[in-house]
Amino acid sequence: MDDTLEKPTFVSVPKVNADGDEEDAQSSGDEDQGPDWTKIPAAPSARPFIPKRGEKDFEPTAAGGSGLQRHVLDRSRHAMLEALSAPRTISSKSISYAVWCPDLARAYVTLSRGIHFTTMGHSVARATFVGGDVNKIHKRLELLPEETLYLVERGAMLCWKASDLVLTDVPGLDDVEGIPMTVQQAYAEMIGTEDLTLEKYQVFAYLRRLGYAVTRTKAPNPEYPLPPPFSLAQRRWPDTSIFDAVLHLLRWPFLRLLNFFAPRFNWWRPIRLECLRPVDSRGLFSSLRFLPGGHDKPLHITGSSKASSSPYEIFYNVYKPSTPFKKTAPPPPDYSIVVVNARTTPVPTLTELTSLFDVLPELPPPLPRKRRPFAHQKADAVQPPVPASNATQPTSSLIQRLFPWAFPLSSPPDPVRNANPFLSLKTGKKMVVIAAVDAGMTSFFRLGQGVFTEWPMA
Amino acid sequence: MARRIPLRVSNNKAFVWDIDDIGILRADHHICGVLTGTLPHLSQQNVFLGAPLLLMPEEVVLLVDKQLAVLADDPTAHRTPSVDALRRWNADRAAEAKQQIALAEAKEMSQKTAKMSMSEEAIRKRREREERRAAAARAKALAEGEDPDAIEASGSSMTPAAPTDQRPATPNAQAAPAYTVTLPGSSSDLAWYDPEGCRYESIADAQAAGIWTYPANLHERAKCRVFRDLWEQGNFMGGGIRFGGDFLVYPGDPMRYHSHFVASVVDSPVSTIKPMELVAHGRLGTATKKAHLFCGWDDEKQEVSYFSIEWAGFG
Repeated sequence: MDDTLEKPTFVSVPKVNADGDEEDAQSSGDEDQGPDWTKIPAAPSARPFIPKRGEKDFEPTAAGGSGLQRHVLDRSRHAMLEALSAPRTISSKSISYAVWCPDLARAYVTLSRGIHFTTMGHSVARATFVGGDVNKIHKRLELLPEETLYLVERGAMLCWKASDLVLTDVPGLDDVEGIPMTVQQAYAEMIGTEDLTLEKYQVFAYLRRLGYAVTRTKAPNPEYPLPPPFSLAQRRWPDTSIFDAVLHLLRWPFLRLLNFFAPRFNWWRPIRLECLRPVDSRGLFSSLRFLPGGHDKPLHITGSSKASSSPYEIFYNVYKPSTPFKKTAPPPPDYSIVVVNARTTPVPTLTELTSLFDVLPELPPPLPRKRRPFAHQKADAVQPPVPASNATQPTSSLIQRLFPWAFPLSSPPDPVRNANPFLSLKTGKKMVVIAAVDAGMTSFFRLGQGVFTEWPMA
Repeated sequence: MARRIPLRVSNNKAFVWDIDDIGILRADHHICGVLTGTLPHLSQQNVFLGAPLLLMPEEVVLLVDKQLAVLADDPTAHRTPSVDALRRWNADRAAEAKQQIALAEAKEMSQKTAKMSMSEEAIRKRREREERRAAAARAKALAEGEDPDAIEASGSSMTPAAPTDQRPATPNAQAAPAYTVTLPGSSSDLAWYDPEGCRYESIADAQAAGIWTYPANLHERAKCRVFRDLWEQGNFMGGGIRFGGDFLVYPGDPMRYHSHFVASVVDSPVSTIKPMELVAHGRLGTATKKAHLFCGWDDEKQEVSYFSIEWAGFG
């Protein structure tokens, strides 16, 4: 508990945000604890209100429970039904309107109001037919099915369904843009379009309700704004300037010469050259390793690769509420989320996991534990730490560049030398969140790619 | 049973949208389901969720087999309305908005008059106060032997003219007045919602119509029968994914009581249970104060057998 307070940037899976979660986590059967509907206001209240989970009895007494038990149960049920039947109301001054086009699987917004549109919707140029065959191309704000459904369900938007009915000249229908859709109809018709399953919608709505910005990882149409692709190559090999390239060209013949004269690497005497420089345990161990290890080595699985039909594909990019999010140019996501149906999907195989992690960026190493005042933590939370760059390396002399083997490495690539390795091993270098949904119950799992090969064994 | 509860099926999932039906399912049939929708007035949290109620497939099969519910194909039931129906719907909407505006205006008028009378009262009091002060000043001046009229003149010049700041009309009055829009949730009230012709009274019919697939194999059939057997003994059932099983078995309504068992379904009496499973289930069940229940389904004898596992607790 203390640790998560210390590290505000520590990546953690969004968890159920019940107020009483901390007590619940200690007690047994935390998820068995149901919401207590009697503690929820039936009518909208002015103050923000955090509902709590309630206490439960062990079991009803014989013959259907005691009088008190039956009374409390009836009260709870009544409160629940009361809360459920509260109508979706919104002021006419803050309601948005959109038209759902079933053949496009998109809704275009005809009147947008409110803060929701800062994180949802994208603009698309569509040719519209205005009278006869004059087609005019103009930009409009379009919503994906999950975004439309969320806004409708939340009671922030009225959605019309585009229809062939001629409504323009009919008196009394001048403000009607199509067939009005209920939330029920939106559920029935929007889910199942554009790769949206009920499970994916539930995860989307769950995260949206908590304030996360959620976008698709794969663009459903070319106009959909995506974050810049992760710079995988850059992370694996440090970026080289033009100067470095020229130097490399100059150095290349010398290196070839050296390689020619130097004896081949001998498996049976792997640390022969090490006598030239002071031996550090890291280099020693890496030269002792005679089977290549680590996640950057290719996976030797020759079995039938059914990668195309794998259910483990990243579907959503998720941004924390504190991340500055620009809809037209989204930043790299804070989390990548895979959504699977827990009833039909088995645990991911090694191949599936590897192909997942292959497209994900390396995370910065977790911050070492330090006690710091709260104000600093807040500043850190606003500015996430950048991964350790190579710019801090001291410039090496020409001799050092020519004969790198003759000099010990001035700054080892491992930035945290004395840090406790367990936190880093636990966090891993790459991270993906898997949301498993079983008939409405969502569990989030965080899978990290452990980096045991990169840590010295002693 | 007088009325069968319609379950709205779309994308192979069954929902209940009517709040009364949710209550009946829970109180009379011991079927809880999972609420999945956003509560409109508590839309920033995930502890309390609202309609629709999503049913587990086993619950659906049970309800339909027991003739307590029927399946209705929801996308088909939403027909295309006629222009007349749409016009009626829009007229209702306009009438409601108009009524709300009228109500709001009436309320505003009464408030305004109340405010007006209050301000008149205030003006009268202020005038009295000023008169008293002027009289006191005059008396003081008289006592000091000065000309009372001079004081009077200066006093009157100081008192400002009658307050003329007639308040400008509120900006709201020019724009269209605001009213509350109620967004429709359930479709049952719509004139063009008609589930006739796409209702299915048995699972087989629905499967033939292609709107429902569960149960499709032996394992799913076993789960349905185990669910049914436990339910027939008076238990409430919930999903068990968070406890490493298929179901949670509650002695009473899960709203008020803890579950006693985590049930996992074993397809047949000859299927193997690995020792690791025993350890995992026993460990998790004990840690959460539940017993783990292995429910074996014998497809030939059509019966369920139960084994529970718990740590014996000999130090």
